[in-house]
Amino acid sequence: MSLLDVRGVAKHFGGLRALDGLDVRVDEGEIVSIIGPNGAGKSTVFNVISGMYGPDEGDVGFRGESIVGLQPNQVTRLGIARTFQNVHLFPNMTVLENAMVGQHCRSSAGVVGAVIGTPRQRREERRIRERAQNALSFFGPRLAGHRQDQLAFALSSTNRRRLEMARAMATEPRLLLLDEPTGGMDPSETLELRDDIVRMRDQLGLTVVVIEHDMHVVKGVSDRVIAFDDGRKIAEGSYDEVAEDERVIEAYLGTRHEELR
Amino acid sequence: MNLRRTIRGGAMGGTVLVYLCLVGLVGTFSDLSLIGTWLTAAGLLLVLPPVVAGAVMTRPRVQAGERRTMALSTAGTGAATGFASGAVLAVGMGLVQVIGIDTVRRVFVSVSPILMETLTFGLSTWGGALVIVIGAAALGGAGALLRSMPRQIRRPIVVGTVAVVALGLLQRVVPSIFDTLSIERDWLYRDITNGLQTTGALIVFLLSVGVTEGLRRLQGRSAKEAGPADALPPEEGAAPEGRRGVPWGGVVRVVVLAVALVALPQLAGPVVSESLGTVGIYVLLGLGLNIVVGYAGLLDLGYVAFVAVGAYFFALLTGSHLITAFGLEDPLASLHVDPFVAIALVAGIAALIGLVIGAPVLRLRGDYLAIVTLGFGEIARVLLTSDWLQPVFGGARGLGDITDASIGSYGFRHPQHFYYLVLALCLFAVFVSWRLQDSRIGRAWTAMREDEQVADATGVSTVRYKLLAFAMGGAIGSLGGAVYAIKLGSLSASGGTFGVLVSVTVLAVVILGGLGSIRGVIVGALVLIGLPDLLSQFEEYRLLVYGAALMVMMLQRPQGLVPNSRRTRELLEVDRSQDRWTGALAADKRVASEVSPVGEGSG
Repeated sequence: MSLLDVRGVAKHFGGLRALDGLDVRVDEGEIVSIIGPNGAGKSTVFNVISGMYGPDEGDVGFRGESIVGLQPNQVTRLGIARTFQNVHLFPNMTVLENAMVGQHCRSSAGVVGAVIGTPRQRREERRIRERAQNALSFFGPRLAGHRQDQLAFALSSTNRRRLEMARAMATEPRLLLLDEPTGGMDPSETLELRDDIVRMRDQLGLTVVVIEHDMHVVKGVSDRVIAFDDGRKIAEGSYDEVAEDERVIEAYLGTRHEELR
Repeated sequence: MNLRRTIRGGAMGGTVLVYLCLVGLVGTFSDLSLIGTWLTAAGLLLVLPPVVAGAVMTRPRVQAGERRTMALSTAGTGAATGFASGAVLAVGMGLVQVIGIDTVRRVFVSVSPILMETLTFGLSTWGGALVIVIGAAALGGAGALLRSMPRQIRRPIVVGTVAVVALGLLQRVVPSIFDTLSIERDWLYRDITNGLQTTGALIVFLLSVGVTEGLRRLQGRSAKEAGPADALPPEEGAAPEGRRGVPWGGVVRVVVLAVALVALPQLAGPVVSESLGTVGIYVLLGLGLNIVVGYAGLLDLGYVAFVAVGAYFFALLTGSHLITAFGLEDPLASLHVDPFVAIALVAGIAALIGLVIGAPVLRLRGDYLAIVTLGFGEIARVLLTSDWLQPVFGGARGLGDITDASIGSYGFRHPQHFYYLVLALCLFAVFVSWRLQDSRIGRAWTAMREDEQVADATGVSTVRYKLLAFAMGGAIGSLGGAVYAIKLGSLSASGGTFGVLVSVTVLAVVILGGLGSIRGVIVGALVLIGLPDLLSQFEEYRLLVYGAALMVMMLQRPQGLVPNSRRTRELLEVDRSQDRWTGALAADKRVASEVSPVGEGSG
């Protein structure tokens, strides 16, 4: 049984068919890259999986159960976390607080507990803080120390991306959906992130699906590559197989064969 | 000297001056002395605009986190700005003189001989105009100088001035405190209508300057003792956690505050206690609305519904209205619930109603939410006064004979006793707000306020936390309603008692104090509710001043008077965090290059 099973999902926006009968399967412990030209429906898949859009047709299964119709927070609770193409943080919360919000779905204190400050609530609050710090420490010194008390909007664009990933990891997911995580990063940062993505699986045991444009990253991390165009899957396989595929090359019109390698 | 800025500042200052005269504020306040016979509240109103205009026009620029000290010559800019402000008023006076005061008065009712006498200082119109222009120039220059001074000089002066003015404005309150404590007060207030004695005012000013300066030195020393690493000036309320040992300063402050809060009604007498009680009610309402608007970011314009619910349900629960209303001679069941139990029940009922109101508006945001809640508020008011529900709520006549809450024979309707009841509830509400703010729930609310969709995707159930915000806000607001019912003894929803203006006033309290700030709500209520209550002349200008205050706040200080620490950082302290960051960046790079071979690049 695969961890994530997207079967025949279609999503229309007015006359636009953003997704058109799409099948994606992801197994536990895999790193899968999704590539494709702009408007191919890559982010839309993420939105459907994470519950932000309901699919018009088809089904999304996670660990053998359908998650269609669940609210995004319920999906997150089940173990799917995501980041966004154009980073969405809580800009006026500190770095640590951002990550602590990620722990929200793994904690349970209610109004009474919070107001009275029961021992259980205080233990839980400590645990939230520890785990959030753990998630931040994944990026080494990048989000550590004094930065934890800094407001998120004061971070550099690269650190914002890292924080967004840390916040997603703080929700303790099984499956992590990364939407163009290297967007806006310089080459050395991109390389660093490539290693980070591999570490997410090797150290934390996460399954990762990543939408990515940078072919170095795609080549470096992927067990499997899926190419999209016009809301459909046009190729799937190892990096080399997909890079050789005629339809993929055609979809990236104007991109020469050599560059894809 | 920047001519355009000067003219613009002068025009604004002048317009404010003319406006204050035309709406009648200056005329009304011309007999309210603040200091001796030479400074009246009207005088203060005339002094402030040029000072502020001068100060604003010479606002020091902050460059790369460093505040540049202004050269003395900028006082010239300020003086010119003040001059322009005064000139606008002087031209206005000239026009009145040329056209004739009686003609002008037919349109602008407030342009009275008294006003002209105030403005001319007993001289001829032209002499008065000259004095005003020169005075305004001097004041503008003073404002500019004040602004360009270093903080440690400016702060004591401002604090001293505010202290003197506050004591002057509170001339009906403070003397009775002195009398109760049997402290000699002749040096400060000789007779109550004439404001402060001049020498007394001077002493107060010097005292406040001294205290401010002393406190600053003390703080500076403790900061030094804490070690060079903490060289940044301690941020208020920012880092109580990290400090070791018993924070004696904090303990002393709390004890002093507690004693003052408990002793206040005894010292200040029934009139002031009555005002304080009203302030307390608005603090309760403000704290409740602060949860909805400040924490969760849901703009609720129908908040008065919860106040009405609190008041009416308290009346129904404690009295026998329900039974008699249906015409039953022999009550089926007695509803004479104990008032204190009733207060708790009322909060529960209001929380439920919060859920009911919250459910249909879950999908709405911002403007749409505001409009719908506005509708809910009106519906509540109409239902309460309707003939249809007359048997229960008494229709236009309302409900009378509301049971007073009492412990033994200690009834709480008496203003001085009522204060304690409200104080207790306020402390409770403050505690709840404070605890929620930094909890998992508070974080969920903040996240939702920042970005609802993303909060949802991060695992926060927006449905649940919106409803929770409505319920919590409603419960706390209903407490305000319940004590309001106790205070009045009878209720009627006709008139403006539960009208939309109450919602707006509470919102103004929250916004003026600072959205999301507990201390802000208290300060907001004191300023917007307490001050007008004590200055009886002020009553008819209340809404005028609310409007103006809100406009100025939104434009100049959107984070409020006593902002939530988060929102302060958000709006003002970017510089500081940037500085800290650049300072730490060097160290960070070192660490980064050791740990990761990729090294540089996190900029």
